Amino acid sequence: MALLEVKDLRTQFHTDDGAVKAVDGVNFTVEKGQTLGIVGESGCGKSVTNLTIMGLNPKRNTVSSGQALWKGEDLLTAKAGRLRDIRGNEISMIFQDPMTSLNPVLTIGKQLVEAIQIHRDVSKRVARARALDLLKAVGIPRAEQRIDDYPHQFSGGMRQRVMIAMALINDPDLLIADEPTTALDVTTQAQILSLMKRLQEDFGSAIIMVTHDLGVIAEIADDVVVMYAAKIVEHANVFDLFNRPQHPYTWGLMGSLPRLDADVERLTQIPGQPPSLLRPPTGCRFHPRCPYVMEVCKTKEPALLPTARDPNHLQACHLDEETKDREAAKLAEMAAS
Amino acid sequence: MAQAAAIEATPAPMTGDELLVVEDVKKYFPVTRGIIFQKEIASVKAVDGVSFGIKPGETLGIVGESGCGKSTLARCIIRLLDTTGGAVWFEGRDITKLSRTAMRPIRREMTMIFQDPYASLNPRKRVGFIIAEPLEVHRLGTDKEVKTRVQELLEVVGLNPEHYNRFPHEFSGGQRQRIGVARALAVNPKLIVCDEPVSALDVSVQAQILNLLKDLQDDFGLTYVFIAHDLNVVRHISDRVMVMYLGKVAEVAPRNVLYQEPKHPYTGALLSAVPIANPELGRAREAIVLEGDVPSPVNPPSGCRFHPRCPRFQEGHCDVEDPPLYPFGSGHSAACHYPLERWPMNADEMSRPSSSAAGRTDGT
Repeated sequence: MALLEVKDLRTQFHTDDGAVKAVDGVNFTVEKGQTLGIVGESGCGKSVTNLTIMGLNPKRNTVSSGQALWKGEDLLTAKAGRLRDIRGNEISMIFQDPMTSLNPVLTIGKQLVEAIQIHRDVSKRVARARALDLLKAVGIPRAEQRIDDYPHQFSGGMRQRVMIAMALINDPDLLIADEPTTALDVTTQAQILSLMKRLQEDFGSAIIMVTHDLGVIAEIADDVVVMYAAKIVEHANVFDLFNRPQHPYTWGLMGSLPRLDADVERLTQIPGQPPSLLRPPTGCRFHPRCPYVMEVCKTKEPALLPTARDPNHLQACHLDEETKDREAAKLAEMAAS
Repeated sequence: MAQAAAIEATPAPMTGDELLVVEDVKKYFPVTRGIIFQKEIASVKAVDGVSFGIKPGETLGIVGESGCGKSTLARCIIRLLDTTGGAVWFEGRDITKLSRTAMRPIRREMTMIFQDPYASLNPRKRVGFIIAEPLEVHRLGTDKEVKTRVQELLEVVGLNPEHYNRFPHEFSGGQRQRIGVARALAVNPKLIVCDEPVSALDVSVQAQILNLLKDLQDDFGLTYVFIAHDLNVVRHISDRVMVMYLGKVAEVAPRNVLYQEPKHPYTGALLSAVPIANPELGRAREAIVLEGDVPSPVNPPSGCRFHPRCPRFQEGHCDVEDPPLYPFGSGHSAACHYPLERWPMNADEMSRPSSSAAGRTDGT
């Protein structure tokens, strides 16, 4: 059984202007020890997918449907108390902004100890020792002294390390990292990514890595889900995705990326902007921005289907395989130049 | 020593046709204690002796991590901040000493694009007003001419001229950044200082803005100082790239030279840390992971400022003697006593500088 199996997940927010379908029929699975990357631009629903799995959406105006099976148990219908047991224990989450995710009036040590004592019946002393171990594991220098510091006394990279320590403190089976390195500098980002890789080897946790950065995905993910306008448009192994991308949106993303390994005079740009999820386009949601648009794209929504070559490479596009392979080869050639 | 280094540091010999020459610019912010009798107890050396020149039509990229002084430097260049020392020569005049009135005509020649398209546009003013303001400040044209110019500018940056009467909140992030670009272009400047213009944008929108900036440069012969922390973006847009670390220039070189043959270990570490959107390449290389964080600019380390994090640190040399910018030919210079012999390097090779490098203090 997969560790996490998400089936036909849908989330709607009710607003004054109507219902916003922020997640619209998302399926994926996460196996033990695996890293799943979710990539997409702002507003594509990548964060909401995870908030829905964790039951963290505001109750007042949100309707979710589908299933998120955690070791066979549906998280969407689970009682609040049961969710509290799972969150921070079996599944933990790292948020984008380490500046605002820590409580500024409590010391780092207090917050870490609290995270343990909520889930484990241990004494403060034992919990503190565990907190100290984790701070050392994530590479906080002079952890014995720094454990009694307040968040403002830490730099951005250090705070993100503390967040990771807190997320790992109860040995979670799944770590959901929502843009964990976006607010950080490159050298710090490299530190955090290598730390996450190492901890994954040591603790064997699965990771869901949400990011808009294809570079980070290429470095860390095993499988990749590309989201556009609340839907999955492509889902493949990381090597297949970068070597043979099959969806025009993925091509656009890769072409619009200035990169160190290729020289291009002009970036390929995706014209226009992501659509409003209040009134998404008919047919394929990418069709108003797609350079390969055909008549069928405007009316018929493409299903997420495997390619002929590879049953594990899913894509949602009406284009014929020949054209897709040709475009994918062009991109690969560009990257090789 | 510091003075001698700064003079020597002039990256390329100034040939006289530069649009902008920055000479040993320093910006210190005082750290004070006390409420009434404020006593200066220390200073944050945000920019500490930076020199470079830019030719007309060129793009100089400046990269560095947060707190390295790149934004402060940008503000010193267009004199949003007064410098503590040094000179900024714009078309042969030192603008750091000019009065407000004398500065005014020069403000038409250099403008700035800011990082945050949400914070840099006044939410209560209409787009037409925002773009027209620089024209009105400099009294360029009648109301009718101004309106025509604004609509022309909107078209140039790829917005609908009929959006003249809208408010900033009606636009997306990318469109707002286009408004910021239009405002910077309004007075027909020669130099535009772009301070992280695409950092807040999604990749597809980022590509649109980068292409727009390149097109405008071709059409109007603009000169850019382009500041960013993303090495991919800087490589794409720049002719020359300058790497800053803790208020100083670590390395400066023509674009391809810097990315292919970095000499400074900090540049090497940065390059090896940039995620590559290519899983085979990315996983095959070995990242050189720097330990720790950027130190505080209030108390910068002695000698070379990079020495506490440097894998090539040699005791008794790097922590004592501040390295000047050694020239490596064709406009390439790097401030390191033990420059990298080749690139790429793995972490082990990086930590063992060849002994011959130690001798090169004569600056050959």
